[in-house]
Amino acid sequence: MLRLAPWLSIAALAIAWEVFARSGAVTPFMLPKLSTVLARIGAEAASGELWQNLAWTLYRSLTGFAIATVLGLGLGFAVAHNRVVRWLLDPLISVGFPMPKIAFLPIITLWLGFHDLSKISMVVFDAVFPVITATIAATLGVERHLLWSARNLGATERELLHEVVFPAALPQIMTGLQVSLPIALIVCIVAEMKMGGVGLGGAMITASRFADSPGVFAGIVEIAVAGYVLVKVMAAVRRRLLAWHPEATAPSTV
Amino acid sequence: MISVENVSHTYRPARGRDVLALDDISLEIAPREFVALLGPSGCGKSTLLYLIGGFLPVEKGAIRVEGAAVRAPGPDRGIVFQHFALFPWKTVKDNVRYGLQKQRLPREEQEKRAQQFIDMVGLKGFEESYPSHLSGGMKQRAALARTLAVEPKMLLMDEPFGALDAQTRSLMQAELLAIWHRTQKTVIFVTHDVHEAVLLAQRVVVMSARPGRVKALVDVKLDKTDPHLVRSPMFGEKVDEIWNLVRDEAIKAQ
Amino acid sequence: MKYLPLLLLALIWEAIVQLGLISRDLLPSLSDVASAGWKLAKDGDFWTNGAASLWRGSAGLALAIVIGAVLGILMAWWRGVEAFMGPLVEALYPMPKSALIPVTVLWLGFGDGSKILLIFLGCMLPVTLAAYNGARSCEQHLVWSARSLGASRLRVLIDVVVPSALPELLNGIRSALALSFVLLVSSELIVARKGLGYLIGFLGEGGLYDAMFAVVLVVAFLGFFADRLYQYVADRMLAWRD
Repeated sequence: MLRLAPWLSIAALAIAWEVFARSGAVTPFMLPKLSTVLARIGAEAASGELWQNLAWTLYRSLTGFAIATVLGLGLGFAVAHNRVVRWLLDPLISVGFPMPKIAFLPIITLWLGFHDLSKISMVVFDAVFPVITATIAATLGVERHLLWSARNLGATERELLHEVVFPAALPQIMTGLQVSLPIALIVCIVAEMKMGGVGLGGAMITASRFADSPGVFAGIVEIAVAGYVLVKVMAAVRRRLLAWHPEATAPSTV
Repeated sequence: MISVENVSHTYRPARGRDVLALDDISLEIAPREFVALLGPSGCGKSTLLYLIGGFLPVEKGAIRVEGAAVRAPGPDRGIVFQHFALFPWKTVKDNVRYGLQKQRLPREEQEKRAQQFIDMVGLKGFEESYPSHLSGGMKQRAALARTLAVEPKMLLMDEPFGALDAQTRSLMQAELLAIWHRTQKTVIFVTHDVHEAVLLAQRVVVMSARPGRVKALVDVKLDKTDPHLVRSPMFGEKVDEIWNLVRDEAIKAQ
Repeated sequence: MKYLPLLLLALIWEAIVQLGLISRDLLPSLSDVASAGWKLAKDGDFWTNGAASLWRGSAGLALAIVIGAVLGILMAWWRGVEAFMGPLVEALYPMPKSALIPVTVLWLGFGDGSKILLIFLGCMLPVTLAAYNGARSCEQHLVWSARSLGASRLRVLIDVVVPSALPELLNGIRSALALSFVLLVSSELIVARKGLGYLIGFLGEGGLYDAMFAVVLVVAFLGFFADRLYQYVADRMLAWRD
């Protein structure tokens, strides 16, 4: 009974959708039948349109995410280890974190144009913050006795950094990355919606301009699946990298 | 072998007032001696251990090991912490090998020596386990093996059995004595448990409540190899004698 | 002072533009932005747009908080609900909430309604999840103590479970607050005829870059101050904690 349950609720939702759409309580425009939406997705897949849009969105969001990861790790370590860097960047980080950075999109397009560079830059700008804060917290939070034990056994300062600090900080850093990836996707889609063109976001906004209701719903399902898969992949990566960790299960997708 | 000369130590937290933890401590410890540092919470016994270990800087006074001043942590003064401080991302074998790796021994030699010490502490069969899969007692054995593997001149033990349940603690105490008899190392053992101090040590340094001073030095001339030691009247008398010295300090520390 | 680097940044900004290192077309000087901002503040338009944004954001967020919190706590209280909702939540959580922008427009057009609905739908999930986790983590022993002291099941819910859930719930609301800003600004940038996000786009298209920069900064700092204010209030509410 318990094993059936996950699929049960999603299946129930799907059935409810279809039934409700067919009932006539709402117009097909407001809520197209699930079967219509799925058919549309199938058509987009067959024509290649789906794959093209997906590829562009993934390219932009994942590139931005990768850059944000490297940048965030680097800056995070620097802040944790260097007083001057910490003094300089701390206020920028704490002020920048809660800001709706998407508001800067028009400035970024002013500077960098309307192509992939600006979309990727916007993603980096948003996605880097959770990585930096997680890296700082993780690095500073490494248990002092672990560091002392390593020094006691003969480790040099440099060895400490990559043999002890990095693995000890990894769980929390991974959590930061797991927070950052969905942000990368959200921001990428917003940027695509604003600028139009190819990509899942662009396709959806075009559909809405043409009042193409099945197209809009198809987009929602496609993006939802893409997001879901990415989160699952990250969770699997976490499990492999952190097989030694006491909480050897992935954290809930909170 | 170890001489502590007029050492004082003050903690200067970022927020709050300075705390004088140790006040003009002087102590001499002979080679192969098993010494217990005993006192109530906050008396600075761990602080003294960390100073000898080189984890905290000696600001006032001097600490010398075989004539040379202590400047930094090193494998000559092996440390064992209460919460084990095992590297959670390494297996038991890799943990124990760590210090040997730092000594740049050939891989084969590392493996051989590591196995030797893993066997000595009774963890044979658990070489490939991760710390998160081990019980408290097993973790402490692993930590002990890791420290012993680098063949330190002395063992600095910071309430190593404090996190274990009473039965495991009892077993570990017996094992530690056996290992001490076999390896003939100098041991400095921090504890707040009078019973444990009398059981293990040849000499007990009773410390006062904060700021820590040496209140008394008590010789414990009992036969440690006697399996019925704890039930002998001499043991009971010694415990009483020391407890009387500690009681006032313990009350002050409340 | 802790925020001194920001001041330095502002000075560097002004300097590099005044020294001609960057073209004024790309980066208006800080002083230009400030004076454009001042002019805007005197202009009624800024305030009407601001009011529209404020209304949309608050309404959507308030709905998300109230309904989300109640839903989350109920989910924790009735285990059957959890078994059913769990996989749904897990499936819906990773969906980028911004994907809902086109559909809310489809349903409710370009006005306030679509924004409020968007923020409500998008922000409800973090609040629900936080309320749920918070209520779940309520120690069994607290509940038992209350029952043995004579509390009914409903009173236990109100007197024990809700306060226990509060720290986590407040944390979830903080995330929802940040998300509401993002969704509000995003939707106003793309599909609106009013609001601060719309104003940014409007000024940009009109080439009034110094005013555009001013509004961008206002919006960004509004997000920052909202978070700080929220933290202050939340900390007071949790004063019993430490």
